[in-house]
Amino acid sequence: MPDETFIMGLFKDEGKAAKVILELAAAGFSFRRAHSPIPSHRILEALKLKKGRVGWFTLAGGIFGFFTGFALAIFTAVQWNMIVSGKPIVSLIPFFIVGFEFTILFSVFGNVIGLLVCSRLPDYRGLETYDPRCSGEHFGVLAACETGRAGELMDFFQKKGGEVKVFA
Amino acid sequence: MNSTMPSVQAGGDAVPQRSLFTLGAFLTVAGLVAFLAGLFGPHPQRVWQAFLINFLLWSAMAQGAVLFSAVTHTVKARWADPLSGLSEAFAGFFPLSFVCFLILLIGRNHLFPWLHADLHGKEIWLNIPFLFTRDGIGFLILYGVGWAYLSQDLKLKLRAPGPAAGLRRLLAGRIPQTDADLQRVQGRKTLWGGLYCFVFALVLSLIGFDLVMSMDPHWVSTLFGAYHFVKAFYVGLGALIILAAIIHLRRGSSAGLAATHFHDVGKLFFAFCLLWADFFYVQLTVIWYGNIPEETHYVILRTVTPPWNALAWVVFIVCFIIPFVVLINRRVKTMPHAMIILCGMVIIGIWLEHLLLLGPALNHEAAELPLGLTDGFVFIGFMGLMVLAVAYTLKTFPELLPPARQGAR
Repeated sequence: MPDETFIMGLFKDEGKAAKVILELAAAGFSFRRAHSPIPSHRILEALKLKKGRVGWFTLAGGIFGFFTGFALAIFTAVQWNMIVSGKPIVSLIPFFIVGFEFTILFSVFGNVIGLLVCSRLPDYRGLETYDPRCSGEHFGVLAACETGRAGELMDFFQKKGGEVKVFA
Repeated sequence: MNSTMPSVQAGGDAVPQRSLFTLGAFLTVAGLVAFLAGLFGPHPQRVWQAFLINFLLWSAMAQGAVLFSAVTHTVKARWADPLSGLSEAFAGFFPLSFVCFLILLIGRNHLFPWLHADLHGKEIWLNIPFLFTRDGIGFLILYGVGWAYLSQDLKLKLRAPGPAAGLRRLLAGRIPQTDADLQRVQGRKTLWGGLYCFVFALVLSLIGFDLVMSMDPHWVSTLFGAYHFVKAFYVGLGALIILAAIIHLRRGSSAGLAATHFHDVGKLFFAFCLLWADFFYVQLTVIWYGNIPEETHYVILRTVTPPWNALAWVVFIVCFIIPFVVLINRRVKTMPHAMIILCGMVIIGIWLEHLLLLGPALNHEAAELPLGLTDGFVFIGFMGLMVLAVAYTLKTFPELLPPARQGAR
């Protein structure tokens, strides 16, 4: 859209920010992004996001790690091939500890990779429409409208109790 | 009633009906008849074994469920408020549990294999008078502290004398009138709650050592007591989830229990599923590494030797593998029907686990598992007692039910 203007409403109250997110579309404006200084369940609910797929990455990592741990322990034991205290070379009971530890480790790897993939990080877009106060004590709601309606959008934010910042 | 008292709406249609008492009485009588019939049958030791297993299981369930309220109150976990009242209802089983403990004394000749054995100096600890005295005192302290905690909680919840005014008055005592009273009662509740957590660990450890581990008097595992009380909390949470799910199914969304409550308590159940398996594994690993015959024989008999080996796998799958895999899923934890089935399965699994721990010591050279109809009937007899105890407590103190609410999801 060639004549699009980005305007951010900045709110000190997360409830107001969440309410504005819900009302933007009805007022005829296009919601673009929300910035929160803290993890906010109310804003998350207002955004009505679909459940992420990060959990599947974590699960896959955990299952992979469990078997990798066993495989590593078995591989190294077989390389040494040394009987200690009459125990079998491949002893699954103590190897479970390695399997467990690798489950945790690879679950974390899976989780981080899933987060990067699902969030498409690193993402440098949108920095020009960011306000540093959103890392302090403000909740920012970024919306877009036709340039001719910028005044309406500013009024809308101000009526809802927010400060306004217009991005050129 | 002071205006600062919490507003509680009694549970309406969730208050137990007469039919529930009839059901509980019927189950109890069925169990009692089977128990008496078995007692005078050819194998009385089998009936006493079933009695001991069920006593341990159902007592642990009640003790563990009450622990939920004490723990969540002590750590100020507000998410658990609607569930904590329900968990306190299990305290109604405490007197019955104590009576059942005393009944064990009658069957002592069938229950304690060490009674006429050479104990190599352990006679000082393992003798009937001392065992029943210390365990009896332990139970009295545990149940006394549990009821004291419940009494303080009821003082905060009761609004009017209501039904069975005598018992209500006895437990609740003086209802706080001022803010200062309220603060004092809340302080006492926290004190008794913390004390219950402490006594729970001590007494359940003692019971684990005395009534389970001592059946094989020459075998020792120092972690066995902790394993026993972790297991008690595990089944206690299972019983609490079943009760909450039944009430939710009866009253629907107005039950005061939201999906988030089931999700949260389901996570706790999941955590204790892992902890139970962990306490099993840490004992197994130490015994495996040490490889001392005095220790390994206990594990080998139960995990390698038929007919117990099959039972060991069943217990492991039912109490750990299935709950672990199923409870990874978030949605299942919020489905009351599914959770009733899962928790019921775990409770039966722990029943079988008690059989696995006690059975080999009480049935030497068994060619097949000592399981029969009588075991099932004694189980449902105890279930009937639990139904009666919980239903009576909830009927007497309907304030323990979650307050009805509008707009629950």
